[in-house]
Amino acid sequence: MNALPGKLLEVFEEPACGKNQGKPEKERKQGCTKQLAPGAAAGGCAFDGAKIALQPITDAAHLVHGPIACEGNSWDNRHALSSGPTTYRTGFTTDISELDVIYGGEKRLYKAVKEIIDKYDPPAVFVYQTCVTAMIGDDIEAVCRAAGKKFNKPVIPVNSPGFAGIKNLGNKLGGEALLDYVIGTAEPDLSTPYDINIIGEYNLSGELWQVKPLLDAIGVRVLACISGDARYREVACSHRARAAMMVCSKAMINIARKMQERYQIPFFEGSFYGIGDMSESLREIARLLVERGAPPDIKDRAERLIESEEARAWARIEPYRQRLKGKKVLLITGGVKSWSVVAALQEAGMEIVGTSVKKSTKEDKDRIKEIMGDEAHMIDDMTPREMYKMLKEARADIMLSGGRSQFVALKAKMPWLDINQERHHAYAGYEGVVTLIEEIDRTLHNPVWDLVRARAPWEQHQRVPV
Amino acid sequence: MTQSATHVLDHFDLFRQPEYKEMLENKKKNFENAVPAEEVERIREWTKTGEYRDKNFAREALTINPAKACQPLGAVFAAVGFESTLPFVHGSQGCVAYYRSHFSRHFKEPTSCVSSSMTEDAAVFGGLNNMVDGLANAYSLYKPKMIAVSTTCMAEVIGDDLNAFIKGAKEKGSVPVEFNVPFAHTPAFVGSHITGYDNVMKGICEHFWDGKAGTAPKLERAPNEKINFIGGFDGYTVGNLREIKRIFGLMGLDYTILGDNSDVWDTPTDGEFRMYDGGTTLKEAAEALHAKASISMQEYCTEKTLAFVGGHGQEVLAFNHPVGVAATDRFLMEVARVTGKAIPEELAKERGRVVDAIADSSAHIHGKKFAIYGDPDLCLGLAGFLLELGAEPTHVLATNGSKAWAEKVRALLDSSPFGENCHVYAGKDLWHMRSLLFTEPVDFVIGNTYGKFLERDTGTPLIRIGFPIFDRHHHHRYPVWGYQGAMNVLVWILDKIFDEIDKHTMVASKTDFSFDIIR
Repeated sequence: MNALPGKLLEVFEEPACGKNQGKPEKERKQGCTKQLAPGAAAGGCAFDGAKIALQPITDAAHLVHGPIACEGNSWDNRHALSSGPTTYRTGFTTDISELDVIYGGEKRLYKAVKEIIDKYDPPAVFVYQTCVTAMIGDDIEAVCRAAGKKFNKPVIPVNSPGFAGIKNLGNKLGGEALLDYVIGTAEPDLSTPYDINIIGEYNLSGELWQVKPLLDAIGVRVLACISGDARYREVACSHRARAAMMVCSKAMINIARKMQERYQIPFFEGSFYGIGDMSESLREIARLLVERGAPPDIKDRAERLIESEEARAWARIEPYRQRLKGKKVLLITGGVKSWSVVAALQEAGMEIVGTSVKKSTKEDKDRIKEIMGDEAHMIDDMTPREMYKMLKEARADIMLSGGRSQFVALKAKMPWLDINQERHHAYAGYEGVVTLIEEIDRTLHNPVWDLVRARAPWEQHQRVPV
Repeated sequence: MTQSATHVLDHFDLFRQPEYKEMLENKKKNFENAVPAEEVERIREWTKTGEYRDKNFAREALTINPAKACQPLGAVFAAVGFESTLPFVHGSQGCVAYYRSHFSRHFKEPTSCVSSSMTEDAAVFGGLNNMVDGLANAYSLYKPKMIAVSTTCMAEVIGDDLNAFIKGAKEKGSVPVEFNVPFAHTPAFVGSHITGYDNVMKGICEHFWDGKAGTAPKLERAPNEKINFIGGFDGYTVGNLREIKRIFGLMGLDYTILGDNSDVWDTPTDGEFRMYDGGTTLKEAAEALHAKASISMQEYCTEKTLAFVGGHGQEVLAFNHPVGVAATDRFLMEVARVTGKAIPEELAKERGRVVDAIADSSAHIHGKKFAIYGDPDLCLGLAGFLLELGAEPTHVLATNGSKAWAEKVRALLDSSPFGENCHVYAGKDLWHMRSLLFTEPVDFVIGNTYGKFLERDTGTPLIRIGFPIFDRHHHHRYPVWGYQGAMNVLVWILDKIFDEIDKHTMVASKTDFSFDIIR
């Protein structure tokens, strides 16, 4: 009945994940992600991972089956933007109570699905399992099946309770839900030789929209973005794409790999961050499409666009290169950004003193070495205290990281720029590189750092007794 | 008919009803002989141009929307800061009604103040009788410990001599001979409310220190270790003075606040009406002479007072409404130097906290352009804070700012790269500001309630900091001085910035792509 253990094993043994395949069998069975150390501060759970992976599907309703905490704390907390529907931003939860824990919450879940369909009529409802409802044995798969049949509407169980593991595992389990219940369930009205999927791009701060005009310009159609600014139907039709680009390899490699297996959609791993990477991605897209039979002139179109856009971006960065030259950057992020942003920063003349690889794959690490050389300072799992120490010793001029590390940087009197989901600027594409460089420049030259670094004037003269 | 006896519409709704809309339209069309709408629009657009701005700045006689008030307003502000003191304004009573309502609307508190109610005959024959009767009535009706006399223009134009009049009144038995009646001439046609504050503050010091207008021996100064603190005319006096007391308490200082109106403008609702509350005691006011130094938070509010105090042998220090970290640092360092006391750890922590808060939010303020108007010292304080935050105080305007003030602002702007494209405007009004906001737009304007017309006309969001604030309540209870005050000002600025971001992203299905819960 419970499909979770099987699913976990499947995800753990992901063949496209080189890191995982490199392990001895016994170790592999223990899971591809590090066991969490009890008592040590940790990131999000599997539920959170599944939710952030799927929630960018904008026209669907996302219903969290669990107590208020799970949806209450995660409601609309990422800037995954929509160009249309906003149903995904409404917080739906069964908000189960003590009685539900005793008697079971399945009926309540069923009613909640019904109410969503009555009131909102979304094209689909995603139902998320959580720790408590999983532990009391609520069978969300069965409820979704019954509800889907009754209301004639896709009701998709996302079986990724928090205790299953870390956030990254949840990303993959979310992907599995798409593979099992969504992808391939509808047919596009029109297919072209230029249709691609973009996988693992969440349109945070609208980054997809910085890239999409470039694709439009060379005549590439994004059949589905999984899942940034996606519509349910697009994802359902995505199996008809000719090629795919894998943006965040760590999160959704299973989708890309299985779609290749099932539907023969070739994919490559690329990045939209940095001038060189953006160009490389355009080239790869064109190459894969041509391989799949698209007319070869798309390559020329891509080259022409790359030439003009690169020149324009370089010209716009130039004024900053002098101001930023030699500035030392510490990069605390994960996955693809651990190397793709490196290239962008190097383009602006900055020096990377370290990059975190906690959430990076083996491929990611190889890329880092390739870009930064063997001396690359890779930080596997930096505790806030080590981070503080490094910053305090001023081995960096600025730290680029997510919101949770911001405050550590600040206490060490270190300039800091948000490059994770809570940021408000989009850094993708040629446009985004310029924005990133501008933001770094602004951050470094903000007068507040003088204030932060200066001691209180009286401390220079006296030591005040407490 | 829209109106009915059972459901009477008020002004918010009534004239939005179709009949009224139609009626008003017809009236305009048929009876108003109105200029064509296109012409109105053309002129409206023209007032936004550089050409209009040049004409506007060439204005010589007319002041439009002044950002200042009159001397007696400042006189009353200073006077209510002393123990059981009744401000008595010699002149027309209408003026006094204005001061009272002005303060009550800002502080949401009653403001007790009387006038000598001069009428036509007093204007012809002089106001002596009004002074005689007025002091007698005020003394017996309101039982003050002191009556602080100032003047309106009417008394000044006819040249009433307060010193002589008060003496005359005492001779006639209006008040006992030994009763304290300090006075100051405060004509509205000279200076502004900050001048009036200065005159009364000096008048009261002079009264106590220099022999009570010849009725007592002059005091002999016997220097002690205390310091005097003078806040100046300040819309945040309630919050600010309490904050200063807290800071001085933490430092363990022995001090006197001259003109402490923080209690009288914040009395509790507990069933008792306090016509007077708190304030500097008369004994303290007299003994303030012996202090080793006097500190003014607002140089341009206390020019004469400080000269007077300095003349009596005290060290005097003047600040310009310090707001922000660096300004508060300077203030505390000077206080520590003068008093020889250390700055306690508690304040060091508060400093660290506000620096932390600034850094947390700096990206949102960095590079934003602001227009500021208000009293000269407040403008200096706010401009300094904005520069500290990496913002650009693009237009700094004080209707009651002097040439010396303008030079000081210029020097401040020149001290920071963020002040590079910023300008200072002394003696200009809010209609000048309107032209500035059209021709050199900024992101936000900081000013008092009257700035809402600028906000409406130019679309520049208004951050309400200044005096008077009539249309938002209770901000005067929060300090803007000290590190805690910097925190408040920072939060007010940020609140507006975020409100604006939300406002620009909240139309459903149109702009709400970026309507985020985390900013």
